[in-house]
Amino acid sequence: MKKFLKNIFPLLLITIVVGEVVVRLTHAVADLPQRTIDGHGVQKYLPNQEGYWKGGEHNWTINKFGWPGKLPQSYDNLIMVIGDSFIENFMNPNECHQSVFLKENMKDYNFMEAGRSGVSLIEALEISKQFDSLKPIQFLIYVNDEDFYESISQIKPMDDITQLNIDTNTIEYGKMKTPGLKKILYAWKLMYYLYNRFPLTNLSNIDEKPEVSSKDTNNKELEFQPELTQLMAYIKCNYTINNKTLVFHPDSSKSIIAICQAAGFNIIFLDSNNDETWVFDYDSHWTCYGHKRAAEQISEQLPSILNNSEQLN
Amino acid sequence: MLFNSLEFFIFLPIVFTLYWFVFGKNLKFQNFLIVFASYVFYGWWDWRFLSLIIFSSFLDYGIGVLLNSEKRPKRRKLLLWTSISVNIGFLGFFKYYNFFVESFIASFTFFGSTISAGTLNIILPVGISFYTFQTLSYTIDVYNKRLEPTKDIISFFAFVSFFPQLVAGPIERATNLLPQFYKKREFHYANAVDGMRQMIWGLFKKVVIADNCAKYANTIFNNSNDYSGSTLFLGALLFAFQIYGDFSGYSDIAIGISRFFGFDLKQNFAFPYFSRDIAEFWRRWHISLSTWFRDYIYIPLGGSRGSLNKKIRNVFIIFLVSGFWHGANWTFIVWGGLNALYFLPLLLAKKNRVNTDVVAQNKLLPNFREIVQMAFTFFITTVAWVFFRADSVSHAFRYLLDMFNSSLFSKPVILPYTVLFLVSVFLGIEWLGRHDQHALERIDFMKKPMRWSFYMLLIMLMFLFTGEEQAFIYFQF
Repeated sequence: MKKFLKNIFPLLLITIVVGEVVVRLTHAVADLPQRTIDGHGVQKYLPNQEGYWKGGEHNWTINKFGWPGKLPQSYDNLIMVIGDSFIENFMNPNECHQSVFLKENMKDYNFMEAGRSGVSLIEALEISKQFDSLKPIQFLIYVNDEDFYESISQIKPMDDITQLNIDTNTIEYGKMKTPGLKKILYAWKLMYYLYNRFPLTNLSNIDEKPEVSSKDTNNKELEFQPELTQLMAYIKCNYTINNKTLVFHPDSSKSIIAICQAAGFNIIFLDSNNDETWVFDYDSHWTCYGHKRAAEQISEQLPSILNNSEQLN
Repeated sequence: MLFNSLEFFIFLPIVFTLYWFVFGKNLKFQNFLIVFASYVFYGWWDWRFLSLIIFSSFLDYGIGVLLNSEKRPKRRKLLLWTSISVNIGFLGFFKYYNFFVESFIASFTFFGSTISAGTLNIILPVGISFYTFQTLSYTIDVYNKRLEPTKDIISFFAFVSFFPQLVAGPIERATNLLPQFYKKREFHYANAVDGMRQMIWGLFKKVVIADNCAKYANTIFNNSNDYSGSTLFLGALLFAFQIYGDFSGYSDIAIGISRFFGFDLKQNFAFPYFSRDIAEFWRRWHISLSTWFRDYIYIPLGGSRGSLNKKIRNVFIIFLVSGFWHGANWTFIVWGGLNALYFLPLLLAKKNRVNTDVVAQNKLLPNFREIVQMAFTFFITTVAWVFFRADSVSHAFRYLLDMFNSSLFSKPVILPYTVLFLVSVFLGIEWLGRHDQHALERIDFMKKPMRWSFYMLLIMLMFLFTGEEQAFIYFQF
């Protein structure tokens, strides 16, 4: 036994070292930027980070404000782009970000992104507050149905994202989920690779969370309608709405869109029907093509929204 | 729990440590730990189905004890058939109920009448075909007085549920495995090291070969209407390597892990793709199942003795049952039937035991005749695999018709060079190790730095060329 252990441990150690080198050299896993929670309770990235996406074909950057993507050359006529992993967009190179395509189509405006995976609607609105000093003329907030349900802790309690408690009408800021473990996992690339490749299937999803059925694109009776109405009431009282445009993902619920329109939000509804697929084969996020098409549709509808806003001001 | 999962890499060292360092001095505790660990291993998938294993274990243990004390032949037969009926009953219900109902409805529809009968949403308990056959072998052997029934209930439960081979074999015989639970196990360095090698090789087969072949085989089989004959041929070829890598990989890992714990399991795959005829192939493929059918069905039916009709009947029974064992689908039955058709001419010409040695024994390379024989055997086996993999019998026929046309000689649309290169290297290593229990058995001829570099290379290939698939194919059987 002694002899076996004397051989197995060095072999394991060498395997770990060589594995780490190989995983790093081949970028077998994506580099992940480190997160922090700022003074306002918003979870973002540590500024000025850079890393490779899986496979090493492109890299991502975190700007000085702690958000993925490059900063605009000027902050005049600034339009903020806020959203979840679709805007974070690590899976595509920087040239495939919404801000880049929007700038190509709307040269008189400047676009800046603030995206982080998991951002809910209420969290996006909290993030929007941070940019008031840059005086953006409009905020584009990219949403899907889940972002509404995930905004309300009574519907889908999630510790790691900012939510509204509709019983107390207060914001509950998200906490970092196992930050220590994440730090180790992201630094120890081999372990992170193994964790991704061989997930601990039965250890995850221990918390039973209510299933949210949100596919009611045909105006069926909306689930959680009272809660969503309360959410909208809170938003109307606590955020400026007339400079916010909600960009709805394709196939979003028409009932939710109607609630948002009634609340006074500007709405852009994306449509990917009768088009090539917008998403990756093994990932539900948009490809470069998907981002381009989304930006084209937004560029067609946004000018009239901006005109209306100008007239109102 | 899957062997290629992170939880297993945590589970194994814990069980190993407890087994040797905590309970190492007490055989009963060691056996109890094996039962407990095996139930955790199985329950990780779905704990509810543990009740089936426990029930089967109690039943066959009890019947074994009763068979020992019962002298009246009729009573003994009744006890045997109780065990067979209950075990096969469970298997039949969970695995074949829907198949029989659907086939029943389809046959009525064929004759113009319409009947309606409900199928059930039944979950197939993982490994039920494997442990059912294992416990049955015990009862039959006790009945035939080839084995003394055990009085040690913990050993018997450990024999039925032994986690390395519980869910996908090898199907161990009580005569081989059960006595190993009675004896104090010693940790042998050479055995453990060899087990480790076999485990690494098994993981390589599964993670690199099977999972990478699966990616392309799935694409080609799922869209077979869109591809040329050559691409379809490549799809069948890749599936042949997928199923071999997957299943023999599992067996290698199971045997390797067992050796860590001081157990010796029987070889389950003996390099079957180097067979020179189909009879040799079946002596080398899934040996534990083939020998089970041979000993408990084929020989009791008369085997290759008796009239011509009887010989033909027995061959068809054994292959059709084998096909049906694999799954409740006509594709498996046709696959079994096709193999019977391949085998029959050899049996009738009394050439089924011509190639009993290892191909190109003590030579580096085979001669021309052997190459042709191996290529032909591999080819007909691959054709049969199309039925095994296809969604339905009609899909398989369509696949083969589309494969064997003029486009068979065109350039395949899908050409995964890396996978084909990996398969070639894999075959090369298997060829060099074909005389042994597993491909890396004689790696000792290399000096330690070379040997460790080779292990490292295999492990790194697992990191770099890891495929998308995860579950082992044979779990569904």
